[in-house]
Amino acid sequence: MGKFLIVAAYAVYAAFWLRFLGHALVWRKASQRLEALGAPLARWSVKGCALAVLDVVLLGRVFIVNPALWIGEWVFHASFLLVVLRHLRFFLDPVPDWVWWMQTPGLIAGYVLPFALLYILVIRLLTKLEKYAAPANLFLLGLVLAISSIGVVMHGLFKPDLVDVKLFIFGIAHFAPAAAPGSVLFLLHFCLVLVLVLFLPTHIFIAPLVMLEARKREQALRLVIHEK
Amino acid sequence: MKNKRSFTIELSARQILELDACTRCGECLKHCPVQDVTGNPAVSPPEKIRMFREFIRATDGLKARLFGPAEVDQKLLQDFAKAVYECTTCGACGQNCPVGIFTQRLWPMLRKEMVKRGLGPIGAQAETPAAIKNSGNPYNKPAAERYKPWFPETVKVADRSDIAYYAGCTGAYEAQPMVRGDVLVLNAIGEPFTMLPPEEEVCCGFPLFITGQHDLLKDLVTRLVKGYKAKGVKKLICSCPCCVNIMTRDWPAIYGEDLPFKIRHITQHVSEAIKNGKLQLKNKLSEAVIYHDPCYLSRGVGVIEEPREVLRSIPGVTMLEFERHGLNSRCCGSGGAARKVFHENAIAMGRQTIDEAVAKKADRLILSCPACYAKVNEAMQGHKNQIRITDIMELVSGLI
Ligand code: SF4
Ligand code: SF4
Repeated sequence: MGKFLIVAAYAVYAAFWLRFLGHALVWRKASQRLEALGAPLARWSVKGCALAVLDVVLLGRVFIVNPALWIGEWVFHASFLLVVLRHLRFFLDPVPDWVWWMQTPGLIAGYVLPFALLYILVIRLLTKLEKYAAPANLFLLGLVLAISSIGVVMHGLFKPDLVDVKLFIFGIAHFAPAAAPGSVLFLLHFCLVLVLVLFLPTHIFIAPLVMLEARKREQALRLVIHEK
Repeated sequence: MKNKRSFTIELSARQILELDACTRCGECLKHCPVQDVTGNPAVSPPEKIRMFREFIRATDGLKARLFGPAEVDQKLLQDFAKAVYECTTCGACGQNCPVGIFTQRLWPMLRKEMVKRGLGPIGAQAETPAAIKNSGNPYNKPAAERYKPWFPETVKVADRSDIAYYAGCTGAYEAQPMVRGDVLVLNAIGEPFTMLPPEEEVCCGFPLFITGQHDLLKDLVTRLVKGYKAKGVKKLICSCPCCVNIMTRDWPAIYGEDLPFKIRHITQHVSEAIKNGKLQLKNKLSEAVIYHDPCYLSRGVGVIEEPREVLRSIPGVTMLEFERHGLNSRCCGSGGAARKVFHENAIAMGRQTIDEAVAKKADRLILSCPACYAKVNEAMQGHKNQIRITDIMELVSGLI
C-alpha cells in the first residue's frame, strides 16, 4: 500500500505539472498577443489598485453580487489557506518559525473549514437562490469537505502517529520515500488530497489577474466617451 | 481533413486568460435575460466558456502541441454556435461576474471564430454583409429612403460644420420618431450641424461586428471617417448606442489611427446644451417616466447620468427607476442581433421590460436606442400590459 501511494503521489505530481504546462503554453501564447479591438485605455489609479486588492484578498466582487454566499466562500478560502500553511510542517525540516506560528490559527481553521463548506453546499443546493451548480465544482466541494472532515476526526479522535506521517510526507517531498503510516484514516485523507491535486482548478492561478484587469477596465470606462 | 486552426486566433491576451479564469460559479445566470426567458443553462456563460475551453484544449493544449491538434466534436461546436448566437451580448453576465470577465466584448469575438469556421452567423444575420454591400444598410432599404420619410422640412443641414449628426440605419429605417426627434432637438440648440448625404451615410459596422462578420468593417469605417473629415467635423453626434459603441471602442483600431473628431452620444450633447442655456425645455410634462438604460450605452460606454439629467430637466416630470438600472440594466431583448433569429426570446424579454414599467406605475417608458425602440414596440403588440413608449429625444423635441 505504502509503495502504491508513493507511486501515486509522484504520478499525481507529474500530472499536475503537465496540466499546468498545458495551460501555461496557452497563457504564453496569450502574453504574446496585442490587445484586441476596443481595449479601453486603462490606467492604474490608487483607488483601482485598492479595489483590486480587496477583490483578491476579500473576494470583494463576490460580496457585491452574492453576500450570502460570500461569507461562506471567504471563510472557506481563508481557512483552506491557513490549513495548507499549517500542513507545511510536514514538508519542511527544520520547520521555520512562521510555520509554527500558523499552527493554532491553522488548527482553528481546520475545524471551521467543513462548516464553511457545508454552508456553501446548503446555499448552492438547498436554497432556491442559485440557478446553476457546475458538477465539477460540487465534486470539488464534496472532496474538500471529505478531506477536511477526516482531518478533524484524526485530530480529535483517531490521531495517527505524527512522526510516521512526517517521515512519509517529508520522504515523498524530498524524493526519499519512507514507509506509510498505519492509520487508515490518514491513508484515506492522503488519497483524497491526491485526487484534489489532480483536479485542482486552474482558475485559482488566473482569476486574480483577471480581477485586477477588470478593475482597471472599470476605472477606464469614463475614458471611452467622456474624457476622450 | 482535420481543421488545424487554433481557437485562440481571434482572441486578445486578456480574453484567453478570461476564459481560463471562469470559476463556473453561476452568478451570471441570475442576471442573464436569456436565462430569464428560456431557463436553459446550456446557453449560459459558464457552459459556453466550458465548451470553448475544450476547443482551445483540442487545438492548443499540451497534447495538441505534442501530437497535433485533435478534431473537435462537431455536435459540441454546433451547440456552442447556437448558444453564442442566442445571447443578446448585453454584458449583464460580465457586470455581475465575481471574476470580472468582460463578456460584452468576449462573446462577439467567439462569434467571429464561429464565422471563420463556417458555423456562424445564423439565420437572417448571414444576409447582413450582402445587404450592406448592396444598399449601405443591413435592412437592404434604398439609400434614397434613408432620410426622406422622417427628416423635418424645417430643419436645415449645413454643408460643413464642427458638429455632425449620424442617424444610423436602425433609427433611419426602423425607429423614425427617434431620429426625427434627434434632428429637431439639434436644430433647437441652434448650432449648425452637418450630415453625410444618404448614400454616403453607410452602416457603422456594428451589425457586422456583433455577428462576427468583420470583413467589410475597414471599408465602411474608412468611408465614414473620411466623409466626416472632409466636412471639417470635430464632434460626431449619434443617438444609437450600438453605433456609439463601435465608433468609440473600435473605429480607431479599424481606421488605423485616432479619429479626427470626438464621438458623443446625443444625450451628452443635449444635457450640456441644457446646462449652458442653449436649450430650454419650456413645456411641462406632469408624468411619471421610467428610463431604460440600453446595454451598449450604459455598460458599453458608461453614458448613464446624461439621459437622466435631460429627463430631470423637464418641468413636472417624476423619474422612476427599474430595479436593475445603470450599469446593471436588464436587456430589453433586442441586443446582439439575436432578435433577428430568436424572435420569441426577444419578445418575451421586451415584455418583461414593459411589465416592470407598468408595475412601477410609470406613465411612459423612455428609451434611447433604436433597436430597443423597434423591438419593445413590437413586444407590446397583443400584450396584456400596455404603456406609452417614447424615445428620449422624441419626448424632448415635443417640449421645446
Ligand atoms: S459569473 Fe463569471 S466566473 Fe461565474 S460562471 Fe459566470 S462567467 Fe464564470
Ligand atoms: S451577454 Fe447577456 S444574454 Fe448573453 S449570456 Fe451574458 S447576460 Fe446572457
